[in-house]
Parts: sequence; structure tokens; C-alpha cells
Amino acid sequence: MIIRIARKELTDQLRDGRFRASALMVGALLLVSLGAGWTQVSSARAQLEAAEATARNHWESQGDKNPHSAAHYGVYAFKPRLPLSFVDQGVDPWTGTSVWLEAHRQNDFLMRPAQDASAAQRFGTLTAAGVLQQLVPLLIILLGFGALAGERERGTLRQVLASGVSRRDLMAGKAAGVAGALALLVVPAALLGSAALVLGSTATGSLLARAVVLAVVYLTYFGAFIGLALAISAWVPSSRTALVTLLSLWVVNGLVAPRAAVDLSGWLHPSPTAFEFSRQIEEGMANGVEGIRPPDRQAITNRLLQEYGVDSVEDLPVNLSGITLQASEEFGNAVYDHNYTELWDTFERQSRVHESLAVVAPLLAVRALSMGLAGTDIEQHRHFATAAETYRRDMMAAMNGDLAQNSRTGETYLAGDELWVSVPPLDYEAPTLAWVLGNRTVSMLMLGLWLLGALSAAVAGARRAEVGP
Amino acid sequence: MQSQTVSDPEVTSQAPTVRPILEARSLSKSYGETHALSELDLSVAPGDIYCLLGPNGAGKTTTINLFLGFIAPTSGQALVADLDVAEHDRETKAYLAYIPEQVMLYRNLTGLENLEYFAALAGKKLEVDQLRSTLVEAGLQSEAIDRRVSGYSKGMRQKVGIAIALAKEATALLLDEPTSGLDPKASNEFSALLEGLRERGVAVLMATHDLFRAKETGTRVGIMRHGRLVAEMSTSELGHSDLERIYLNHMRE
Repeated sequence: MIIRIARKELTDQLRDGRFRASALMVGALLLVSLGAGWTQVSSARAQLEAAEATARNHWESQGDKNPHSAAHYGVYAFKPRLPLSFVDQGVDPWTGTSVWLEAHRQNDFLMRPAQDASAAQRFGTLTAAGVLQQLVPLLIILLGFGALAGERERGTLRQVLASGVSRRDLMAGKAAGVAGALALLVVPAALLGSAALVLGSTATGSLLARAVVLAVVYLTYFGAFIGLALAISAWVPSSRTALVTLLSLWVVNGLVAPRAAVDLSGWLHPSPTAFEFSRQIEEGMANGVEGIRPPDRQAITNRLLQEYGVDSVEDLPVNLSGITLQASEEFGNAVYDHNYTELWDTFERQSRVHESLAVVAPLLAVRALSMGLAGTDIEQHRHFATAAETYRRDMMAAMNGDLAQNSRTGETYLAGDELWVSVPPLDYEAPTLAWVLGNRTVSMLMLGLWLLGALSAAVAGARRAEVGP
Repeated sequence: MQSQTVSDPEVTSQAPTVRPILEARSLSKSYGETHALSELDLSVAPGDIYCLLGPNGAGKTTTINLFLGFIAPTSGQALVADLDVAEHDRETKAYLAYIPEQVMLYRNLTGLENLEYFAALAGKKLEVDQLRSTLVEAGLQSEAIDRRVSGYSKGMRQKVGIAIALAKEATALLLDEPTSGLDPKASNEFSALLEGLRERGVAVLMATHDLFRAKETGTRVGIMRHGRLVAEMSTSELGHSDLERIYLNHMRE
């Protein structure tokens, strides 16, 4: 019975010119955004691979030089983009995807497209995530607002219920009908996306698992919207009221709540401006932080002289510069750790506020999950930034250690290719799916609650719906 | 409250001699202080066409809505094949077909598709040939069967409504002003269809303003006013002028 009702709903929708026009538009936008995203990600991956090779080549062939000069020469680290990022670019345009690793400094990320975007581009970027999160719900509203209210107004609801069909079956059939109409739009896009994933990248099990969970997340979101549209259609007296109510909810979900979440999270957990943050680092470098003072070159010298039982630095079996540079490096690391840990924690607290606000807007939950699964959320940016910083520190320790151990104080020392090659390239492993989902339990819970609540409201609405005059 | 038998000696009310399909027992429906229906007692047996007459607000549509289970009674019972509608909503629907003043169909579907859909909702799976013959039997021109109903006249939609009742093989038919707005030819065709259903043993309860149609088509007539059945009579020995006179007398009181 449910399938029969769904089939009729689908036929009815397909013969409706308004549905065909809106579905065509949303479908075209979805395909274009997927295509554009894929092109962009493929091109970025190709550039990244080329840049990585070039950067590595530069590092290995920099010629003979002092290891500390090599440390200042530095290397670039590039955040690998997961293939699924073609669906959702997340925070990447704002955080950047590459960082220059050099001595003494934990640099900001580079390659931030948002930095170069015009004002118009900031609001008009077409992404598949945007279409899925904003426009598909709008289409669901157009498909569902008249499900019961419209039938009641036209008088067909009396005819249908007089036939003996149960209200629950009727509602389930209508939900399946809307889902079927939507599937005509989403399934081809999903198939194209899957084909692109399989053909265009190394489709690992982990990637496929992420893709499956991403699909489940969006299906849950659409399911919640279908339930919501049917519930409102059943509960309110007219299809016009249903449409206005649903459009109001859409505005709150898609426009008001995301903005309010940014403001509220920033108010609850303020983060420093770039200028302020830079000033805090400078202050820490000059005066130290939390009892950690800048290294005292004289104290280090005295300790070494005592340790090796010699009277002058020239007699030391190690290079004092290498030791003090490493001490300076470690002090800088402590200052950066102090400030960056606080900054990252603030971002994470803000992220938690966003997730919690999903109780009023499911988009916030689906957005957090979508970015997480695409590997483009702030947590995975932090994961890579931390890995890059660890790599930088290991590299600096290797350079300073080589200088300290293989030369004497005051001596001119040049290291060669052997040292550069001994520093392995950054081998970054993206977090596992379990790690991503572990960060997003609140969003999963919220999304699940939205689905459950919306479907329950739809069933309750079907039971109570007036049949009309 | 028992229905009042009119005092006119020319008019008699005949209770059905066989077990009724539709039966109202002290059926009442109130909305706050407003009594839409008060203590209605009536019964409609197989082969009976019971016409409910009365002005707007008399309680005719409320009676039909109670039999359909669309509203719950304040007191009393609406029974369909001895089953209380309030307790057996879905079971009783299996016996019923319903044709409102405007048979509302899905505009984007053809007559055939509408019939197939409503028959399926009633649990009847019919072959296309059966669906076509049912529509033709209901009086729909065969060339209209595969056209979308958005282009149908009211009379054509009523015929699809009859076809739905035929396809469902309902034993009771509830009609709410079915001939309102139909031209005389279409009304006559509709009456002929009803007569056919009556001969098959279908029990028909029809709310109408049309005294002529009630006299011509009905086997019994009930007059309602202010939610009460104020008169009930057999049409077999009733002339047109008698029904009009009795009706107007009750409306003046």
C-alpha cells in the first residue's frame, strides 16, 4: 500500500511542471557544484603533488651549508586533501592548506583562497555541500508542504480516507513519494560522485567508509526535512500556512542559525584577532610564559663547561651554537604551544557551541558532520597543523643536533646532501573515520533526534489531521 | 431521541425489513454549545435509497461524516454492518463508498489512473480492462478514460466517483449533495446509476437539497432541521407536491 501511494505521489509530482522546473534547477546546480568541486580538488591535488616534489627537491639539493641556515631555508608542508573534499571544502578556504616550516617560527598556513576572494565570491561560492544543505531542503519543502494540507483543501483527503487506507500508511506513502522524487535528483548525482571517487582516486576502504557515512548523514538530514514538511502539512490548517511556516523554518535553519552560531560561539568563547595573537607570541618570546624563561646563553655555557670539564668553549667537544639554538628552539616551542593550545581549544569550544545549536537547526549538525567526513573541519586542520609542527620540530632538532655534534664552537661547518636526505619527508596520515565520528557525537545525536522528532511529529500529525469540510 | 414521524396521515415511515447496513442509534454531535446532530435514529437496508433532506446546517453532512468516521460522535453510535464506526474505523470503511458534492480527483492523473489508485487504496487490484469497463459502466465516455481529469466536467468526475464505488464493491454508498450543480441530463444519468446500484442491493444514504431527485430516486426520505430528524417517510406513495408541502411545513415550524 505504501509503495502504491508513493508511486502515485511520484507520478503526480513528475507531471507537475513546477516540480520539474525546480528539480531541474537544483539538479543542475548540484551537478555543476560537484563538477566544479571535483575539478578544483583534482587540480589542487595535482598542484600539491608537484609542489611537494619541487619542495623536496629544493631541500635535498640545497647544496653544502650550515645546518642552521638550512633550517632557516625551511620546507613547505602541504595538507593532503581527501577526495571527498570535492563535496565539502569546509574551513580549508579560510585556514589554508600549506605551511612553511622554518627555524624558530610556527608559521600561519598559506594558500587561503578566502583571503584572495572578492566580497561577492565570499557569499556566492557554489559548493555541493551548500546545495545539499540549503537547496535540497527547499525542494523538499516545495514537494511536501501540500502533502496533507493541499489534499485537505482540494477535498481529495476525504476521498482517500473514505477508501479505508490507514493514515499511517498514507503518511508513509507520501514520505516515500517525496523521497522517490528526491532520489531522481540525488541518486544520479551520488552515482556520478561515486564514479568520480572510484575512478579518480585511490579508493581505499577508509575513503569508501567515509563516503558511505557521508551519504547516510545527508539521507538522515533529508529524512528529517521530509518528516518536518509532512508534519507541518498535517498540523496546520492550510497549505499556504504550511508553506510559510516551512519557509520560515528554512530561513532559520539555513540563514539565521549559522550566523547566530558564529556570533554566539564568538561571544561565549572569544578568540584573539590575528594582530592580538601575534602580539601575544612576541610578548611570550620576549618575556617567557608560565615560568618558562628565555634561554640564558651564559648558563648553558657554564653548564657545558662544567659537564665536559673544560675552561673555554673552544675546548668543548660540541658546538655551543647548536646547543643554544636548540634551547632557543625549545623555548620558542613552549611559547607557541602555550598560545596555540589555547587558540585551538577556543576554536574547539566554538565548534562545540555550533554543534549544540543544532538543537534548533539541523543544518549545523549536518554541516559539522559533512566537513568532518570530507576532512575539512577545524579539528582535522588542527590534526594536520600539529603533525606539521611536530615534523618541523624534529627537523630543527636534527639540524641543530648535527651542528652541535659534528662541529666545534667557532668553527665554520657545512653539512651536505647526506644530512638533507636523512630528514624524511612529512608522512601525514589523515585521522581515521572513528576519530572523526568521535569528534562529532553531538552532531550525530542531534541529527538522529531531528529525524526521530520530525517523523514522530508527522505520524502524530497524520493521526490528528482534520479531513476538511 | 426517536425520529418524529410526521402527523400527516398520507405519509408513513417504513422501517427496513432486512438487517440494515447503515444504522444510527441516538447519534449526536455537539461542538461546544452547538448541537450539530441530536439523537438521530435511522437505518438504511440493502436496496434502500434513503434521502436526507434539509437546509444547510440541518445535520446532513454531519451524519455522513459520522458514518465515515471523519468526526467522533458526542454520544450514540453510527453502525456500519453492525460495527460501531468509532471503534472499527478501518473495518467499516471496507463496506462504504463516498461521493461528495464535488468528487475530487488527482488532476494530474487520468480517469483510469484515479480509479486504479482509489481501488488500490480500498484493497482492490483490478486489471486495466476491468478498470475501463467499470468506468464505462459508470457512464464515462471511453475517449475520456485516458485523459487527465483536470479537463473533466463535474458530471464526469461524479461518474469516476461512481466507478470507484463500483470497483470497491461497496455495500453502502454515502452521497453528499451528489447532484448539486449537475445539469438535468447528468442528474438523470446519475439517478439511473444509483438505481442500478440499488438493484444490486447497495444501501444508499444521500444528503440532498433536491426534493424532486429525492422523490424520484429515493425509497425513503428523512427531513432534518436543526440537527434533528423531524420527519421520515416512504416515497412509494408520495406525490411531488406532498413532499414539497411536508418539507415546507417543517421548515416553517
